[in-house]
Amino acid sequence: MALMQLHNLAVENRLQALDLELYSGEVLGLIGPNGAGKSSLLLALAGLLPYSGQITLKQKNLQRYSAIERARSIALQPQFVDSAWSLSVHDVVSLGRLPWGDADQKIIHAAMHRANVSELARRRVDALSGGEKARVWLARVLANQPQILLADEPVANLDIRYQRDVMRLLREYALSGHSVIIAIHDLSLAAKYCDRICVLNNGKLETTGRVEQVFDEQSLAAVFGTELFIDLERDPPIVLAR
Amino acid sequence: MANKLTSGLLLLAILISALSLHIGSVNLDVASGVWDWMRLIQSREALIVGEIRLPRTLLALVVGAAMGLSGAALQGLLRNPLVDPGLIGVSQGAALGAATVFYFNLFAGLGVLATPIAGLLGAAITLFILFGLSGSIARPGIIIMAGLALSMLTGSLLAMVLNFAPNPYAMQELVFWLLGSVSNRGLDHLLVLVPAFIAGSLLIWSQHRLLLGLSLGDPIAQSMGLRVARGSRLILLGAALLVGSAVAVAGNIGFVGLLVPHVLRPLVNYRPDRLLIPSALGGALVVLSADILVRLLPPERELKLGVLTALVGAPFFIWLVWKERQRWL
Repeated sequence: MALMQLHNLAVENRLQALDLELYSGEVLGLIGPNGAGKSSLLLALAGLLPYSGQITLKQKNLQRYSAIERARSIALQPQFVDSAWSLSVHDVVSLGRLPWGDADQKIIHAAMHRANVSELARRRVDALSGGEKARVWLARVLANQPQILLADEPVANLDIRYQRDVMRLLREYALSGHSVIIAIHDLSLAAKYCDRICVLNNGKLETTGRVEQVFDEQSLAAVFGTELFIDLERDPPIVLAR
Repeated sequence: MANKLTSGLLLLAILISALSLHIGSVNLDVASGVWDWMRLIQSREALIVGEIRLPRTLLALVVGAAMGLSGAALQGLLRNPLVDPGLIGVSQGAALGAATVFYFNLFAGLGVLATPIAGLLGAAITLFILFGLSGSIARPGIIIMAGLALSMLTGSLLAMVLNFAPNPYAMQELVFWLLGSVSNRGLDHLLVLVPAFIAGSLLIWSQHRLLLGLSLGDPIAQSMGLRVARGSRLILLGAALLVGSAVAVAGNIGFVGLLVPHVLRPLVNYRPDRLLIPSALGGALVVLSADILVRLLPPERELKLGVLTALVGAPFFIWLVWKERQRWL
């Protein structure tokens, strides 16, 4: 049974009607060129963009969830995050508990541990490096304990080690009975860590399927407008523009 | 930390309030004055303490708390440490409302309350236009721009009222009033100020979680289930009530709303929600202390409270800019 179902979901001027299902335990990767509608899809799911069509979460129309109920089930990590104030890492991660109206220290510390930022707890977030910040933002989303975690380009601007760490973390989160949707430009990482891939182009859903079904040199070349080199036999797999 | 800070500021405020009741042009037994006043005995002490010093002290406390709290709330809402309560145009609107009443001698039936009520009205009209201008999008940039535009408009209208003042005395009275002061006001003024203060404070406090959530920006706050557009308006309304009533009663008391939250912020770990109460207490402390200082200066030509806070505030602000620059070097 699907955890979430999108039926005829459309966002004015950004996304044409699409159908999609999301299952518990999976990482779904949204790929496609810039402006394809990846972020718009995530924003609509997080309640930040008005949409037409229907989204059902656990067999219940998302419109019938209150804002707080929705926020407890679906958490968003936007592409660009910054803290206006020089908050401590612990305070930023605690923000993840806002929808729950508590400050459960056990959950907050577990989230920091999971994102590997426990040692930074007392540091000021504006004094951290880009890689450290990215993990702190993720820890905030983890503390929210959402059923569905949405992450927009979670590994952009990270060095390769942090990219791997963040992708592993998202994968583990999905495996612990949740599901994760990420918008991602790095196709090699997408091939390695996503269970299923959704290809968007010009606001249209092109295909959805398992990595080996979707990562086809010819069809992806048409979407990205360039020749691709794809080798899924290797570990890690390689997907690059020629 | 935040709790210790709050209790410390509260204790200081009580001490300074006691000091404020003791300071004035005549020496008298304050304790017996308060006691007489509470028992409605019309002694000389009771009159001086109850009719002059107590209202003045309370006014300074409430006006200061209003400036400090509204500054903290607006800085949090607009995510900008340089926001002054005057920025949303409401204080200028209040001044314009009050000045217009001075000028045309309107609301004469209301007696001494004509000015403060006109001030509140001016603030309300300005806020209404601000809401219209900024629309349903509560973007900080739009609010700041709309506020600036309204400040300029009301400022120029105020200049015009001064320009066409009917006689030099009216003009002098107006200018003095605009300079900001809590002297020569009675318990009547508190009747306007206190309800507005309570309503404004409650509105802001009801949105303290929003202020915290907004730290990471609009989208995250909204995705966390917070009602950003509605909450932002409630905060603006609350701040307008605070600033509007404070300016309407006491004229312009500058820099308090800008500096107090700025100084206290590191002491509450930069949490915009935990900054609210300490800022209110800090503002009350600063304005009351400044008013005590004004009373200690030679009485021939009274230095207006608003002039003093600006005189002390501006150099302090320059020092802050200097310190901020060091951080970037």
